[in-house]
Amino acid sequence: EELAVVGSWSGLPLHKQYETPFWTEDLPAATDGALTATLTTHDQMGIDGGDVYRMLGDGVFDVGMTVADYAVADSAALEALDVPLLAEDAATARAMVEAARPMVDDIYADVFNAKVLGIAPYPPQVVFCNGEITGLADLEGKKVRASGRMTAKLLEALGAEGVNVSFGEVPGALQRGVVDCAVTGAGSGYSAGWWEVSTHLLPLPLGGWDPVVTAINMDTWNALSETQQQQLETAVAEKLQQPAWDAAQDALENDIACLTGNGECPSGEARDMTLVEATAEDTETAREALVGEVLPDWAARAGDDWAQRWNDSVGQVVGVTIGG
Amino acid sequence: MARIIRWLGRINEGVALVAGLGLLACVALILAEILARRFGAPIGGTDEISGYVMAAVTSWGIGYALTERAHVRIDLLRVRGGPGFRAALDCLALLSLAGVALVTAWHGWNVLEKTLGTGARANTALETPLWIPQAIWWAGWSWFALSAVVLAAGALTLAAKGRFESVGDIAGTEAAT
Amino acid sequence: MIAFTAIGLLGLLALSIPVGIVLFLLGFGLDLFFSPFPLIRGLGQVVWSSSNSATLIAIPFFVLLGEILVRSGVAARTYEALNTWVSWLPGGLIHANIATSTLFSATSGSSVATAATVATVAMPQAERLGYDQRLFSGAIAAGGTLGILIPPSINLIVYGFLTESSIPQLFLAGLLPGLLMALAFMAATVILCAINPRLGGPRPHFGWGQRIASLADLLPILGLFVAIVGSIYAGWATPTEAAAIGVAIALLIAAQQKALNLAMLRDALRGAVRTSAMVMLVVIGAYVLNYVLTAAGVSRALQNMLEGLDISPLATLFVIIAIYIVLGFFIETLSLMVATIPIIVPIVVGLGYDKIWFGVLMIILVEMALITPPVGLNLYVVQSARKGRFTDVMVGCIPYALVMLGMVGLLIVAPWLALYLPSTF
Ligand code: NA
Ligand code: NA
Repeated sequence: EELAVVGSWSGLPLHKQYETPFWTEDLPAATDGALTATLTTHDQMGIDGGDVYRMLGDGVFDVGMTVADYAVADSAALEALDVPLLAEDAATARAMVEAARPMVDDIYADVFNAKVLGIAPYPPQVVFCNGEITGLADLEGKKVRASGRMTAKLLEALGAEGVNVSFGEVPGALQRGVVDCAVTGAGSGYSAGWWEVSTHLLPLPLGGWDPVVTAINMDTWNALSETQQQQLETAVAEKLQQPAWDAAQDALENDIACLTGNGECPSGEARDMTLVEATAEDTETAREALVGEVLPDWAARAGDDWAQRWNDSVGQVVGVTIGG
Repeated sequence: MARIIRWLGRINEGVALVAGLGLLACVALILAEILARRFGAPIGGTDEISGYVMAAVTSWGIGYALTERAHVRIDLLRVRGGPGFRAALDCLALLSLAGVALVTAWHGWNVLEKTLGTGARANTALETPLWIPQAIWWAGWSWFALSAVVLAAGALTLAAKGRFESVGDIAGTEAAT
Repeated sequence: MIAFTAIGLLGLLALSIPVGIVLFLLGFGLDLFFSPFPLIRGLGQVVWSSSNSATLIAIPFFVLLGEILVRSGVAARTYEALNTWVSWLPGGLIHANIATSTLFSATSGSSVATAATVATVAMPQAERLGYDQRLFSGAIAAGGTLGILIPPSINLIVYGFLTESSIPQLFLAGLLPGLLMALAFMAATVILCAINPRLGGPRPHFGWGQRIASLADLLPILGLFVAIVGSIYAGWATPTEAAAIGVAIALLIAAQQKALNLAMLRDALRGAVRTSAMVMLVVIGAYVLNYVLTAAGVSRALQNMLEGLDISPLATLFVIIAIYIVLGFFIETLSLMVATIPIIVPIVVGLGYDKIWFGVLMIILVEMALITPPVGLNLYVVQSARKGRFTDVMVGCIPYALVMLGMVGLLIVAPWLALYLPSTF
């Protein structure tokens, strides 16, 4: 059986280091050649990230991998998978994702006619600023580039102004003051040269961890034999999801080292951005905004049933209750 | 038939004007955003709205470009044939336009249908209900399909009557042969 | 599959089916015969997402800007003014075509819009003065391509977006090569017309008094340039927003010239919708075809081939350039970039070449694609402003396409041409 697989962004490490070897080598090996894959990515196909799961549900291809946040247009409930700010390290982020997994499974089955195989992280989305900041409170009144609905709402709640700038235009926008700060993955910011045009780095996951969901079309899934289903699910969990999570914490620390020069940089030359340590007070304020405004707002969008499920699962992991 | 085609052209002129005014409105919105940003109070969402305007202007403009005979065709071979040959190619061009437009409008409906089904809203702070821009976009493609079908029917009728020069008037390439 | 694509493309184009529709049909056909998956089910989504684009709206904005300049007489006066300065050269008014294209390029991010603007004012002159139409129209089609090399540039915005590189840096990188190429176009024209004067036409001479007086007519266009590029570098606007500023300033200029009225505005709006819809049908068709080709594995095959080549970096670069030249014949430029950048740029960067530098190199190859048949949009916009045979425009472009090739070679020998400005500012 040959699966048509559409991967996440072709230029990013998740695709190059984990997805590509998994689909081209690990999966055929794990199934003795019973399952193979042809692999491309949504950016190479020129299709929008938000269309991947819609097309997956229609059976245009068999397996789709993309950032869950891109798909929240079709399901506000799905925003709950990537609540910003609550997970400061990979272990917590992973625990949150695992707690949310049953919800995600249901959403994918209902909305996208798809079965979730696994969830892997992108590096956390941190804050780059051109100009001095000493903590999160300084974002108030600043123009911040961010993507994703919940992050935009959080920025609003913190008194910052969300500005929509495409990734490639960010360096220019930072340099010339169109925006004061911008949120992206530390690694992407490093390789795209954002350190050239920004001075301060606040390593709080204001944009969340951008979990990438691997899902298979439900009809394809049902057509597989039980053995194949088991092999596929196990292989994704062990050979794709696990290594990506294992590397996540180190990747974050390395990327921060590369951007600030505090520590060894394995990816190239270390830069000298100022590392801003968020104070406990900072985190508390942001959490209050999140719990007091942003999450209740989400509950209103998604419906109370989903809020309840979140409280009972992810909420337990991080000690947050919506409407409590 | 000729009257219907004249009407079609006139309606499309109106459509183009509305689309053009949409572009101007978008210019005004972007200027307002730039100014508001200078004064520290961005409006936000102009990027998103520009995208919707672009989709609408494109889908409705394609029909206008059709009745204006503006869609580029390579006429290296066409100009070498006689009137009958030219009329045949013109009919073929209109039939293929109509076919593609119908297929696209058909599949475009799937997009809108899915959006209506999930109640999709844009993944932004604006939370635009996506059925609004997508309905405008889809209606544009449907209008284009309708226009192409009418023109194709007109061209075939004329060709059947042997009025080859008139076929060129509604379907030929715009640049003189 | 490659053979099916090539034969299908040429055959359908020869039947004079609209170019955009041909791309759709090829996509449908490839899906039907070669793809194991029902790709057609994704058609609506691809068409919606490719036209729902805040980046692409720069195209109608720049076309509208050009329409306003033409209908307010600014374009014609600019042309006349440049005419007094450059038309004494062998080739006459052809130099005014190139100079006007260069100047408009600095206010337009789109090659199609630039060529459409210049063709509207220049083509009537060719007929009136009895120029040889080939070189005359070729110079407009080729000169118009400078629109995407000299900043602002929609294609550089797309390149910056897809490769995650700085757009203002890319803009700076395109400036010197753009100006140099304009000079090279003029030099090529001088040489050709000195050898064979019949390729040109009358060479009007103007006195210095007239020339100095004409400078006033260049002010509107310079003001427009300062407003568009200045707003980007001053940090007021993103490159896409600058296109909207350009439209607003052009309207102000038209009002100042007392040329702004409702009828003029109506015609300009309709013209902009017509031209950009024509271009967009090709762009959307290209997205559809690219979607099918990638899903069917053509891009993957290309990547494997390139990575499997056991040759020096320079030789690989030459292979890549050759690929762009060939693809450029058949594929519309924005989709050519969208389809190939994710595959090619990582390879090129891996070979040790600079990303910004390669961006400029790619733009020049893309400019060539704009004037090579059968899919060369600039050829069509110039043709749509004139009467006579389409082949005239095609033949007239050949010398300028050769200049572009020379420019590619020069950039490889002297990368600093692109990199000096970005590294200095
Ligand atoms: Na330009
Ligand atoms: Na071409």
